[in-house]
Amino acid sequence: MARYLIRRLNLFLATSLVLFLVMFIVTSKFPVEHTFALTGLQSPTSQELAQIESDYQLDSSQLHQFFAYLQQRLSGNLGISATSQNPVIDELTAVLPASFELGIVAGLIALVLGLPLGVLASLSKHKITQHTIMAITLTGYSIPVFWLGLSLSLWFGVQLGWLPISGQINLLYDIRPVSGFLLIDTLLSDSQYATSAFIDALLHIILPAVTLAVLPFTVVVRITRAAMIAIMEQTYIKAAEARGLHTSIIVLRHALPNAFIPVLKNLGLMLGAFASYAMVVEVIFSWPGVGAWLVSGIYQRDYTVIQGGILAVALIIIFLSILIEVIHTAMNPLSRKELYAAN
Amino acid sequence: MPQIKIYQEDHIPSPLSRIWSAFTDNPFAFAGLWAVCCLLLLALFGPLIAPYSPEHQDPLALLLAPSWEPTGTVEHFLGTDDLGRDIFSRLLHGAHLTFGMALAIVITALLLGFIIGSISGMMKGLKSSILSHLLDALLSIPSLLMAILVVAVTGPGLGNVFWAVGIALTPQFVRAIHQAVHEELQKEYVTAARLDGANSLQIFWYVILPNVMDTMIIQTTLGISAAILDIAALGFLNLGAQAPSPEWGAMVSQGLDNLLTAPWTVTIPGVAILCSVLAINLVGDGLRSALSPIRS
Amino acid sequence: MPLLDIRNLTIELDTPHGRVKALERVSLTLNPGEVHGLVGESGSGRTLLAKAILGIPGHNWTIQADRMMWDGQNLMDMSPSERRVLMGSEMAMIFQDPISSLDPAIAVGTQIIEAMPENKELPWWKRGSDKRKKAQQWLHKVGIKETQKIMSSYAWELSDGECQKVMIAIAVANQPRLLIADEPTNSMEVRTQAQIFRLLSKLNQLQNVSILLISHELETLSQWCDRLTVMYSGQVMESGVTSEVIANPYHPYTKALLDNIPDYSNPEHHKTMMQTLPGSAPALQHLPIGCRLGPRCPQAQKLCVNQPSLCHQKDRYFACHFPYHNEPCHEEPLTKS
Repeated sequence: MARYLIRRLNLFLATSLVLFLVMFIVTSKFPVEHTFALTGLQSPTSQELAQIESDYQLDSSQLHQFFAYLQQRLSGNLGISATSQNPVIDELTAVLPASFELGIVAGLIALVLGLPLGVLASLSKHKITQHTIMAITLTGYSIPVFWLGLSLSLWFGVQLGWLPISGQINLLYDIRPVSGFLLIDTLLSDSQYATSAFIDALLHIILPAVTLAVLPFTVVVRITRAAMIAIMEQTYIKAAEARGLHTSIIVLRHALPNAFIPVLKNLGLMLGAFASYAMVVEVIFSWPGVGAWLVSGIYQRDYTVIQGGILAVALIIIFLSILIEVIHTAMNPLSRKELYAAN
Repeated sequence: MPQIKIYQEDHIPSPLSRIWSAFTDNPFAFAGLWAVCCLLLLALFGPLIAPYSPEHQDPLALLLAPSWEPTGTVEHFLGTDDLGRDIFSRLLHGAHLTFGMALAIVITALLLGFIIGSISGMMKGLKSSILSHLLDALLSIPSLLMAILVVAVTGPGLGNVFWAVGIALTPQFVRAIHQAVHEELQKEYVTAARLDGANSLQIFWYVILPNVMDTMIIQTTLGISAAILDIAALGFLNLGAQAPSPEWGAMVSQGLDNLLTAPWTVTIPGVAILCSVLAINLVGDGLRSALSPIRS
Repeated sequence: MPLLDIRNLTIELDTPHGRVKALERVSLTLNPGEVHGLVGESGSGRTLLAKAILGIPGHNWTIQADRMMWDGQNLMDMSPSERRVLMGSEMAMIFQDPISSLDPAIAVGTQIIEAMPENKELPWWKRGSDKRKKAQQWLHKVGIKETQKIMSSYAWELSDGECQKVMIAIAVANQPRLLIADEPTNSMEVRTQAQIFRLLSKLNQLQNVSILLISHELETLSQWCDRLTVMYSGQVMESGVTSEVIANPYHPYTKALLDNIPDYSNPEHHKTMMQTLPGSAPALQHLPIGCRLGPRCPQAQKLCVNQPSLCHQKDRYFACHFPYHNEPCHEEPLTKS
């Protein structure tokens, strides 16, 4: 097992290195001054220029430049934003928690609703129920997320007026950031309006989270259903029936754990698409997360913001997908069999 | 004299006809196939049947409702936008951009992915893992971020969308084909073919290729629907097709200003995207279930 | 009174070629405490019959029967949940492929413990450890010595024989009255086969479990079973006490099966042609009408296009118009078992 973990860690490091290499090459291709693309300083003084040259070793070979670039980026120096003149790393740490909050809530919605519905769809004998569920999931899978977001905000936000459609919380509430997650911060806050602030934050997150949850929800339903149908035909399920176990016990104890394995695998594969969707959702609902920050960065040609944002998001995705793979291996005794065979 | 059949004819259908009959047994998939065929025709000949040119502005018919509304007219079947452009004509012209572009991207990505994936899948050891893992790093950059990166280097425009979505899609194809080839290579019938004296090229062409075909087909349908959604999302974010272009995602973003007064300028292109992606997914779903008895 | 008494069981399958009678008018009588062998080629519907008795039908099955009596109760009249209760307590089944009959994602021990009966007299907090102890006892009884190691393993870490012993332990833990063993030794080594069969016959003798033993090997069955039923292509050909059936087969198919067993004792038979029936077993979509052996039968005549009914004669049952004995056949009165 330790050997396996080390191999996964190696994979993470190697992939990250390739990512940095790609970013290094792209940075030199940006249609602006190289120093500006690296640091975000519009018109550096000669002193700053000398500092930049020594930091990034601009007069050495490409290889040295790459290692200098790597060193700067890994030490947290992402340059400063050209528009706000703040260090990019600070802006990044300010917007990341909001994105995580949205992603986690959406993922939870998808899993909590998707798994039971997938199981129900697989167990239902009625053709009509099955077709309805499949039709809904296929539509949800095909719907363009920006259009869905707009329609939802038009319906629930504007015409019905039930839910707020932009931002993370009403600006009147002044919440001191502790964890960065507003839902937690509002609860932790000791102001007298803490409860109403929490409810306000909850109302704000509903529409974006539901919009974002549609894609993973449909995927979870479809994969769960397919896996359950395949598993219910297996001999060990028949054997469990022959033992006289109740159907609900068979489903919960034997079928569901086995069905969750492919679901987990597909969640890992879906991360990229999920991140793309999250960016669009953040733009539509003016959610102060990485996506909206990045998109405004590209509108303003803020190259350091683009670099920093892409590096952060890609690193997180690499890390999460490897983490999911490790969990998948830990949960699935069968994949451990392959490990033995490989060693 | 007619031949007398003593036994029921024991006709064993070829794999292709079996897939076809399984596919046509599913009415939804078949409907999807018809829709995709229509879309293909529209992408090719749409501009010919469009009543107006996409940029033709009718100052007398600004924000005209679709024809089924009381205020709508039949001349502008799906209504007009804030500049008096006919939405129906723009949709027809946009099919060429959105759907045609998605097809072109997927075909390019499929070719590239097929070449790299099958070479890396057939090879063993370090070379194979370098080739396949090199692209894993690219795979971890979401398609939208990749597009932002490309746009940052080259500036926005429909041509850059081609590169952006293409670069984001290719690693997926490489990975899928690499894995399929690699898995197939472990099976015993490949060893049997090798013992019969087949060289690598023959093994790839006659033994492995027919068995990874289904993976490629399924991956292609997935790729097309993802490409359409990506192109539209880029158009919506103003990073792809630019303002006057009738690309469907760009049309949605152009209609945003009038969302409250004229919701159809947003709804209709959105429904067009939804329907085309739905049709492709129906076909993909049907193909997957038609192919699955062979796979298992 | 027989433990299990089935009359004219017909199972129809919905296939892409239309509805097919996979089992046609099968009758089977099983007495308490006997080992009953069910012999037939693969595809002759033995597993279908076993699953129908147990009550785990597939989704495309249609089952009809004149009666399916289990110890005086008609199984056909019972609801699925009643059948499920019966499955847990009175009937059990072990399957062809023991490794895939165990859940791959859960340790074997958990599955054994799950199947152990709960001792309702103990307080609930002691029941868990009691079940665990019982599981270990049963594993000992089926001949597994390292119970701890087996219980903490996963199914794929064990050998076929070990898995089958675990399955037997699970099956007999609730002290069923009938154990259906569907090719329990398929693709196992000879030594493991012998172990499993010895275990089954020991269970039969000590616990008085009736066993329905399904196999395609007439030789092995004749060694372990009290009575035999021969099936071909979804129809019962012959049934009777093992020694009589072997010594004096009435049905052409039974005789053909016996002829297929190579005879090593007579050196003169060396290098002579092995006797087999011409042709091969029909596919499901091309079943002949009447007696399904008809097209291959050496004795077949015009009459064979009608399905022969099961004749009863001195504890022997056979379904043939032209059996290998000359006494006339009496139509079997349905009331007599």
